Amino acid sequence: MEKRTPAPFRKRDRAILAVIGVLLIVSTFLFLNSYYAHDWRYYQREFKQRVAQKFGADKARTVPSGLQQIWVPELQHADRCVSCHQATQWKGFEDVEEPYRTHPSAILKAHPVERYGCTSCHGGQGYAIDAPEAHGPVAFWEEPLLSRTMGEEYSLADKGALHQMSCNVCHRFDRETKGADAINLAKNLVKVKGCRACHVVNGRGGSIGPDLTYVGEKAPEQYDYSRLSGQKTAFAWHVAHLKEPRALVADTVMPNFNFTTKEAQALAMLVMSWRRSPVPASFLAGAPRTDPQTPEEVEEERRMATGPGAWFVKTGCFVCHSISALGVKSPAQIGPDLSIAVEDVQSRFGRTVDDFLKAPTGTMAVVLSRQIILTDEQKAVAVQKLREAFAEHQKQKAAGKAPPLSR
Amino acid sequence: METSTQTQKSQAPGVHPRPLWSVHPESDRQAGDAIVSNFILHWFPAKALVASLAWRYSLWLGTASAALLLLLVLSGLPLLFLHVPSVERAYASVKDIEYVVTFGYWIRSVHRYAAHFMVAAVFLHLVRVFLTGAYKNGTGRNQRREWNWVLGVMMLLLTLFLSFTGYLLPWDQLAYWAVTVGTNIASSIPLVGPQIRELLLGGRNIDQPTLIRFYVLHVIVLPGGLGALFAYHMWRIRKDGGLASADHATALPAKVETPPAPTKTYTLLGLARGTGPTIRASSVEAPDTTVNSVPDLTRRAAIVVLGTIAAISILSVFVHSPLEEPANPLVTPNPAKAPWYFLWLQEIVTDTTVKIGSFTLNGAFIGGVILPGLLVGLLTAWPWLDKSPAGAAGRWFPKDRRTQNLVFLVIVFLVLALTFIGTFCRGPYWKLYWPWESWPVMPTRI
Repeated sequence: MEKRTPAPFRKRDRAILAVIGVLLIVSTFLFLNSYYAHDWRYYQREFKQRVAQKFGADKARTVPSGLQQIWVPELQHADRCVSCHQATQWKGFEDVEEPYRTHPSAILKAHPVERYGCTSCHGGQGYAIDAPEAHGPVAFWEEPLLSRTMGEEYSLADKGALHQMSCNVCHRFDRETKGADAINLAKNLVKVKGCRACHVVNGRGGSIGPDLTYVGEKAPEQYDYSRLSGQKTAFAWHVAHLKEPRALVADTVMPNFNFTTKEAQALAMLVMSWRRSPVPASFLAGAPRTDPQTPEEVEEERRMATGPGAWFVKTGCFVCHSISALGVKSPAQIGPDLSIAVEDVQSRFGRTVDDFLKAPTGTMAVVLSRQIILTDEQKAVAVQKLREAFAEHQKQKAAGKAPPLSR
Repeated sequence: METSTQTQKSQAPGVHPRPLWSVHPESDRQAGDAIVSNFILHWFPAKALVASLAWRYSLWLGTASAALLLLLVLSGLPLLFLHVPSVERAYASVKDIEYVVTFGYWIRSVHRYAAHFMVAAVFLHLVRVFLTGAYKNGTGRNQRREWNWVLGVMMLLLTLFLSFTGYLLPWDQLAYWAVTVGTNIASSIPLVGPQIRELLLGGRNIDQPTLIRFYVLHVIVLPGGLGALFAYHMWRIRKDGGLASADHATALPAKVETPPAPTKTYTLLGLARGTGPTIRASSVEAPDTTVNSVPDLTRRAAIVVLGTIAAISILSVFVHSPLEEPANPLVTPNPAKAPWYFLWLQEIVTDTTVKIGSFTLNGAFIGGVILPGLLVGLLTAWPWLDKSPAGAAGRWFPKDRRTQNLVFLVIVFLVLALTFIGTFCRGPYWKLYWPWESWPVMPTRI
């Protein structure tokens, strides 16, 4: 029987195959290692030890091990935060560092973690099991952890305030939410500064500015950042825009309200929180579901709309101007009181009211060419109404009963 | 030696006395037995030409492609159990694969990189076959290599479409918009374009009907088709007498006449139809030109297959597969790109879209339909258009095929260059950036 033909490259091929065999073994170890190298394993061991030290070995045995998650079917949230943050519901770890710290219990009573998960309030990526991906900011996950660190990056007045945005997704119709100071401050500003004069919020308001009811859902790509320096985020855009609207949008008619930084930040948090609530109705038990006006507000609106100053309300002048003599109070009070416009225009511009309305200058030129467009007949009515208001003002002044003029 | 043969004989063929065994054939006959008695190895010839095993000739790119296909099937099976093909749940199920399934991220990465590399390997295999003129019939009788080339072109298209259908399944922004770009190009075909798009999408928008169509195509129809064509491709190689480079070796006269063997040995019966016993006169049986398929060919195949597996496996541990934001029809990522292997087409589409006043010349028709159609048509028909002599088959850069190889290489270079530009140089608003230039920071929410 003939011998087998030897291959000329047998030796070299055997060596190559051996190297590849080694590589296969290496690759097996590599992916096995990547499975065991997650930090949550370390944190779980450490927490178990801490529980053993504090409460004894028996108690430590009840600490679950392995990947943990809170699955909230109603919200479709799988929050794996508790794999590392195991102390959330343990009493006695209030003063230690994360991830071994107890969660403040009062808020958890009202929002049980089994029903709300973690990310509903804190943001972050619940799916992830490693801190960088879970906490963010990380590419392709738009909801980073609303942490103190992030508050520091934005130099917030209250560094930990960011997650109040999450409160307001459900509590948007509260006039005041306990514990959400920044949001409460912003809500009060919305009322006092009269944002609704121009903007619809929750279905109510003027049409000069865009509807803000769900502005928090606007994609970050849809803002114009060309005039914004620093962080290119929707939140930073809102803060800058609230502080000086014209700096970001050249031709805006939105006035500068001289908000402090703290106010602008609070308002930015509020508008960012105006998103559709993904929460089923049963979760909102006790929280208001609509944004009703108080009887006083309704009465005030009726009075202004039907009283002697009705024309100014109907035409839209009242958005910026009060007409105190006729009982019209502007929500924004940006422009001067029109009660004395007859006199005031003369002293400011050296022209009569008729003349000024025919050829306005400054802000009024913009407003009368874009927002409130009047025909010549309507302008004549305007002059007539302004004269009546001035007459009323002088009558009240003579009687010593004139209300204080705004601005 | 005699005793081991006896032991072998006392066993039924294919049944081995030990569960863990290795083959150490001591004679050519035993080496042949190892092929014939083994189910997995039955498609190999008993003996193989040293010339056709050369690294430098075939670069073993076909074997690498097959290894990648094997890896794709193996890694695809667990993913089938884990991925939920529904608009509401697909994204979350991929997140779960990525984060909580044991080794899930690795399985997904293996699947993804194997897919990308398979597109590349199959393309390079095609380039190699063209440059060596391996679609040409050589000296063997009844060779039909041109049809195997046509099968190969079909398999390349199937590979591309397999990868493309897999793109949609994670239902993230990358998936959604890559498929948007891809199917919009399809819709620019005159007359039937919109209908083709509607057929692909199962409607006019990318939604659940699209997902389930792409899913079924990806996991059943296309792999089934590719598997069948793969088997046919392999069978044709045997029927066409092995690699084209083997033709030269068989044509050479034997250095020494091999005396007829006292016992029957396995000959290269399947090597070329009709040659049969006459082949003995040539060098095929000569000891210095052939080796036993077991273990010399199988060892080399193992090197390529296991090497590919090791490379993909190690790469997948270190480079995780990205998963973008959940698909959002309202927000277009900037830039929105087709899968990388279609980016040369997208690049041509943008470059041939010309606006003259109100008149727009639709580049999608030129770059998306005419040009690829023309290229695929030419590729398919090329074996019949190539009139170079049979001797030019199975060699790198033969003089007879210099011009066509040059033209082909220029086209390949252009495709690669455009792919490179589309992948690395196109930034937001499809503006050109150097690869080392950073793109403007894209805004985020908070």
